Amino acid sequence: MFKISVLFLLLLFAFACKVDPKINSFLVEDNLTEMVPAGWPQPVYTFSVNTISKDKFALGRVLFYETMLSKNNSVSCGSCHQQFVAFANADHAFSHGLYDLSGRRNAPAIFNVNWIPLFMHDGGINHIEVQPLGPISNTLEMGENINDVITKLQASAKYKTLFKNAYGNEEVNSQKMLRAMAQFMGLMYSNNSKYDYYKRGENYVQLNPAELRGYSLFLNNCNSCHKEPLFSDYRFRNNGLQVNVFLKDSGRANITRLTEDIYKFKTPSLRNIAKTGPYMHDGRFATLEECLDHYTNGITNQVNLDPLLQSGSIPLSTQDKADIISFLNTLTDYKFINDKRFADPNLK
Amino acid sequence: MKLKIISICLIIASISCKKEKKADAEPLPPDTSKGTLKIDFEHLVDASPLVFNQKYVSPKGDTFQISKFNYFISNIMITKNDNSTFAEADSYHLIFHSDPASKIINLVNVPAGSYKSISFMLGIDSTTNASGIKTGALDPAGIAAGMYWTWNTGYIFMKLEGISPKSNDVNKSIQYHIGGYGGVNKTQRNFTFSFGLTTANVSGTATPYIHLVTNLNEVFKTPTLIDFTTQYSQVAVGSGAKIFADNYSDMITFKSVQN
Repeated sequence: MFKISVLFLLLLFAFACKVDPKINSFLVEDNLTEMVPAGWPQPVYTFSVNTISKDKFALGRVLFYETMLSKNNSVSCGSCHQQFVAFANADHAFSHGLYDLSGRRNAPAIFNVNWIPLFMHDGGINHIEVQPLGPISNTLEMGENINDVITKLQASAKYKTLFKNAYGNEEVNSQKMLRAMAQFMGLMYSNNSKYDYYKRGENYVQLNPAELRGYSLFLNNCNSCHKEPLFSDYRFRNNGLQVNVFLKDSGRANITRLTEDIYKFKTPSLRNIAKTGPYMHDGRFATLEECLDHYTNGITNQVNLDPLLQSGSIPLSTQDKADIISFLNTLTDYKFINDKRFADPNLK
Repeated sequence: MKLKIISICLIIASISCKKEKKADAEPLPPDTSKGTLKIDFEHLVDASPLVFNQKYVSPKGDTFQISKFNYFISNIMITKNDNSTFAEADSYHLIFHSDPASKIINLVNVPAGSYKSISFMLGIDSTTNASGIKTGALDPAGIAAGMYWTWNTGYIFMKLEGISPKSNDVNKSIQYHIGGYGGVNKTQRNFTFSFGLTTANVSGTATPYIHLVTNLNEVFKTPTLIDFTTQYSQVAVGSGAKIFADNYSDMITFKSVQN
C-alpha cells in the first residue's frame, strides 16, 4: 500500500512538471549570474543597465530562436548559429538566409561575447545590444527592418506575455527586445572545457602528453594573436590568405575606409574550435589540418600582411601540427554546447 | 468603550478625507524658479524657404530639388550672464523638414535667468553611438528609423536627398547620408552662438524663443564646392563624409532672440 501511494505521488509530480512544457521550458532557467572567471580580463559589456532576470533571459532565448525576425518569417538567429557547434553554422562556409540566399562570410560562433569589443568579422558593430540589427537588416540573411520586427512582436499574444513577464508591461520596443537578446547571449559563458578544468586543477583533469606538447607549441606559435584565456586578442589582422577574387572582401577596410585595414579580419577565438568549422572569414578551410597547413605553407604576401607573419611561414612539423590539434580539441566545452538553458525552446 | 472606538474611527476617517481634499483644493504654487525656452530652426535655401520638390540653384550653379532633409541636434547647453550653465538632460533631438513640430525644441525646467549664449552639436556624441540600444529620438525602430547604420554601427547625423539634372546617378538622385562618430573622419560639428546685446530671459511665466536659421545650400559650399556630376552620392563614413561635415559646420546660424 505504501509503495503504491509513493508511486502515485511520483506520477503526480511527473504530471505536475508537464503542465505546459512550452512555458516551463522558458522558466526553468536558474543560475543566471554574471561572472568573470578567475584570470580573465574585465569584460567590455556588463549587465549594469540590463539587470539579469530569469524572465528577461527567457525572452531573449525565445527571440534568438524567433523566425519572425526575418522578412518572410523563415530564418531565426538559431538557424545559422547552432548550439551543438558552439553557435556556429555546422558544415556551412556560408549560411542560407531568407529565400535561400547565400551569405558572404562564415557565421561566427557565439560565446563569451561580453569580452568582444567589436562584432562581425570586420568589427562593424560596436555593441552586443545592437549586434542583432546587423543580420536582421542584412538582405542576404534576414532581410527585415527592425520596425517591422517590432510590429510583428507587438501583434503576438505570446510576446505580450513574455515582455510583460520580463519588463512588467506588454509594450514592445527595440531596447527591451535587444537587451533581452544581449542578456541571453551575454550569459553564454564558455569556460568549462577540458583545458579549463586542467588550468583550474578541477576534477583531477590532466592533459595527455600529446595535448601538453600541443599546448606548449600553441603558446610559442599561436598565442600572440589567439591569446589565452579568451583565445583571441580581438584585433584585426591579415593572416596572409590568398584573396578570394570573387568575393573581393576587403574586411575591416569596409568599415574604416582606411587602406591600412584592407584584407584585415578579426582574430577569432579558438575556444570550441574543433566544433566551429569551416574556418576563416569565408569558410575556405574545412579542417583544422588545413588551417595549420596554411600557416606552415600557405601564407601569401598580401598588402597589410600581419607583421607577425612576415617570415611567410610558421615552422611546424607534421607531428607538431597533430599535437597542436590535440590541444585544440581540449578547448571544446561540452557543458556549454549541451547546456539546456541555451537550447531552442520550441524543440521541447 | 464602543463610543470611544467609533469616535476614533471617525477621527481617522476625517483626517484621511481631509488630506485628499487638501491635495485637490490647493495645487502646488507654480515654480517660478524654472521655465521653458524654445529653440526653432527655420529652413532656407539661401534667401528662400525650403519647400520639398521646389527647384533651387546650388552654389555651383546647378538646379536641384530636395525630398528629404533630417538632422540630429544634441547636447544643448545655454549660458547665463553670470556664466553659469544649463545643460539639457538626455539632449537628443531629430529634426525633420517634413515635420514642423520637430523644428521647435522645448527646453523645459530651465532655471530662471538671463541667458546670453547657446551651444549644441549637430550629430550625436561618440559615447552615445557606442553604448548600445537607445530609446526616444535615438530609437532605430522608432523616431530614428532610417537614421541609423546597422552594419557599421552609428547614427546618420544628416540625411539629405533629392534630385538634380546634373547628377550622374541613373535616377538623377543626389543623396547624402552623413555620419561617422570617431576618428579623423568624425562628422559631429559644434555650434555656439552668442545673443549679442540681448538675452533670453527665462522665468516661470515668460518663454523666450531662440530663432536659428539652417541654410541648406551651406552643405554644398565652403570649404568644398559640391559638384553634383561627381558628388551626387555620399552614404558611408570616411573622408568623403568629412567633406560634407566640414561644409555643414556653418549651416546653422543665429537669427534672433524673442522674449
